[in-house]
Amino acid sequence: MADTVETRGTAVGRVSGSGRLVVALVGGLFWLWLLARWAYHNTLLDRICTALGLPDLIRSEYGVRRREPWLPAEPFQSAADSIGSVPPGFVFDRIAGVFELAAFATTAGPELAAGAFITVYMTVLGMLFGLVIAVPLSVARVYGGRIASTAALVYTELIRGTPLLAQLFFWYFALPLAGYFDAAGFVGRNGIPRAAVMVAVVAFTINSSAYQSEYIRTALESVDEGQLAAARAVGLSKGQAIRHVILPQGLRYAIPGWTNEFIYLVKYSSLAAFITVPELFRQARNIASDTFRYQEIYIIVGVFYLLLVLTIALAMGLLERTVALPGVGQPADQN
Amino acid sequence: MTLLDVDSIYKSYDEEEVLEDVSFGLDQQDVEVIVGPSGSGKSTLLRCMNRLTEIDSGEIYLNDDEIHDLDENELRRRVGMVFQGSNLFAHLTAQKNITLGLREVLGMPAAEAQAKAMEYLRQVGLEDQAESYPAELSGGQKQRVGIARALAMEPELILFDEPTSALDPELIGEVLTVMRDLAEEGMTMLVVTHEMDFARSVATRLMFLDDGRIVERGPPEQLFEDPREDRTEQFLGELADIY
Amino acid sequence: MEAIVLQSNDWAFILANWEQFALGTAVTILLTITSLVVGFVAGFPAGAIEVYAPGWLRKPVSAAGVILRGTPIVVLIVLFFFALPIPQLGTFIIIDAKVDAFIVATIALGLRSAAYQAQVFRGAIQSIDEGQMEAARSVGLSKFQAIRHVIFPQAIRRSVPGFQNEFTIVLKDTSIAFAIGLAELLTRAEQLYLQPGHDTAVVEVIVTISVIYFVLTFATNRALDRLEQRYAVPEGSG
Ligand SMILES: Nc1ncnc2c1ncn2[C@@H]1O[C@H](COP(=O)(O)OP(=O)(O)OP(=O)(O)O)[C@@H](O)[C@H]1O
Ligand SMILES: [Mg+2]
Repeated sequence: MADTVETRGTAVGRVSGSGRLVVALVGGLFWLWLLARWAYHNTLLDRICTALGLPDLIRSEYGVRRREPWLPAEPFQSAADSIGSVPPGFVFDRIAGVFELAAFATTAGPELAAGAFITVYMTVLGMLFGLVIAVPLSVARVYGGRIASTAALVYTELIRGTPLLAQLFFWYFALPLAGYFDAAGFVGRNGIPRAAVMVAVVAFTINSSAYQSEYIRTALESVDEGQLAAARAVGLSKGQAIRHVILPQGLRYAIPGWTNEFIYLVKYSSLAAFITVPELFRQARNIASDTFRYQEIYIIVGVFYLLLVLTIALAMGLLERTVALPGVGQPADQN
Repeated sequence: MTLLDVDSIYKSYDEEEVLEDVSFGLDQQDVEVIVGPSGSGKSTLLRCMNRLTEIDSGEIYLNDDEIHDLDENELRRRVGMVFQGSNLFAHLTAQKNITLGLREVLGMPAAEAQAKAMEYLRQVGLEDQAESYPAELSGGQKQRVGIARALAMEPELILFDEPTSALDPELIGEVLTVMRDLAEEGMTMLVVTHEMDFARSVATRLMFLDDGRIVERGPPEQLFEDPREDRTEQFLGELADIY
Repeated sequence: MEAIVLQSNDWAFILANWEQFALGTAVTILLTITSLVVGFVAGFPAGAIEVYAPGWLRKPVSAAGVILRGTPIVVLIVLFFFALPIPQLGTFIIIDAKVDAFIVATIALGLRSAAYQAQVFRGAIQSIDEGQMEAARSVGLSKFQAIRHVIFPQAIRRSVPGFQNEFTIVLKDTSIAFAIGLAELLTRAEQLYLQPGHDTAVVEVIVTISVIYFVLTFATNRALDRLEQRYAVPEGSG
């Protein structure tokens, strides 16, 4: 009992049967729209298409603010107006409110899509780089000598003991990390995002590596001890045994934790807004200060995050089932 | 005097008939042992007696009260149950496992409930374990506390569902001894068990259940020595080989 | 490049402003406590509802849980800040934090925590062996009595590690109340280094608050471990 890992709160939770279908449908359309928007404004794709003789197919030259929504806002707005004007009543006002929100969402769409790109970009990189650090870290914790395991412990405890927002401040405001990235010369050009995004990726990588290593550590520890002994008995070295026997089993146990971490990072990547990264939440904040429609834009952006989170949870659930081996990993109790 | 009268009960779980037209009666101080293959409906039959499972049709009388007319909780106070896995409340000491029902169901004052709990713990030989938590007791001790817990409610009938089948062989004896003492004191008991020595020496009657029907029922000697049905002979023979 | 050099006069600046750090810490701790209390008061009934209540009650409760767990806490905080009709209520004395911002942060962090605590408690209830309920019912306890005296006490004990987890999460997430300018630790830290002429103290200020956060999480974790060991009941199959 005493030795439970600190998780970052369990995943969103099970969505029931019919709810799952709705999430899959709406989420699928949402992703289709996102991917199309990202492609439409992608510099690299634009260059390829231009080279192929289609200069106007992809429009990457428009700045975020000048992008046009694809869905017209007028039908929603006029629906809202006509419903709202009929009889004064609570229910009708609410319905009108929903249409008005939809109209607003279509106009905010292009900017939010651009923000969502950075959100997903930072999250995916943070997770992947984090994993690269987390695996040796957790192996050091479990199988390393005194020095290696203590060093790994100190690292994870320091990271997990301080708020992510404070860490972002540290990397961005306290260290001249952004300056280094700018000096390196390649950031902010050729489709590579600007320095602040890089700093955020560094912060997320380091933060996430600490948590991921904890998930992996408990997973490794839950692999039967006899497995290592058996592997050594066939003549594998300790390193080979860990690599070929322990890790393949342990990483399967770690998938539920990994899902949690992924979802956590999608949500908490919103904190990068405070170090000037124009991700999803910051786009919403900018729209709010332009339009003064705070409440509405924050509801819309909340729905955006919810869709991202729920679709990821669904996809990770599928992954878990695909890589499952009979008798290895009991995802049920790790939920 | 008839204590329990079971009249033509039926029970099925989606399409599958688990109990079919089961009827029997128990007199006061009877000890009836039920045997039968796995899945034959033994547990279901017991659970219908205190309505942990509800029957589809039929009638069950406990001292002339139709049990479905009684309040559930009242019925369960009057019919005790001892489980295969003991099911002691994991967060309570042995003594508190017993006082919980006394206090909450019977509304007994704390001091009286504690005294009573000690009395029953003494009866099962565990007064020195009153303060132990279930996780600190052996399997046999847990079962004895479970019996004391059922006894403390002063039930008219106690149901035992394989009380020794989850125990290591060396722990079975202590539980059977407690049950034997109970029988001698005149407790009416309905016992699912495959301990044939117990059945031979303690049971007033033996019931062989198969496929949800009573195949044969009678004094243990008769079923062992001179069964009427081939199936009974075959099943009891197999049991004798295993145990 | 100069910013990274830890200058002694920057540390002197920190020392001179120790009161700001102390006040910020006080707000952080208070906000953690109020949020966890809201989380417990709303979360544990919600967890029980998710297990025992009929569909018309269970479904909206679990949907609310999914929404609260699926939305970033910063979005919840700013949304509640603009959407909740909380009047401007001045500032708390001594700790000098805006009352309305504090209430908004408590509600947002509290409800979000409730959604997680509900899951912890629900999982704990469901992890309790069915035999416990049957045994309770078969001594004559009603379903309600069985839940109250047999299921809940065990479920609450099993929730302790999850609750401990919540404690550190909420403690760290109080920093996000920065988004609405609540004068907790991080907000005060920023105000300090934004003072004219003190931009070189950024590293020192951030390091200082990080140390404070670390000490707080570390200390509460150890304290809760102790507490758990003291009240532990031998576990195992019943
Ligand atoms: N809650 C239930 N839902 C569906 N089917 C059930 C349920 N309980 C029991 N059954 C079915 O009823 C049949 C009889 O079960 P029961 O537990 O009464 O058998 P048993 O004689 O006690 O077996 P065992 O010796 O294995 O304990 C079995 O086929 C079982 O699958
Ligand atoms: Mg059975």
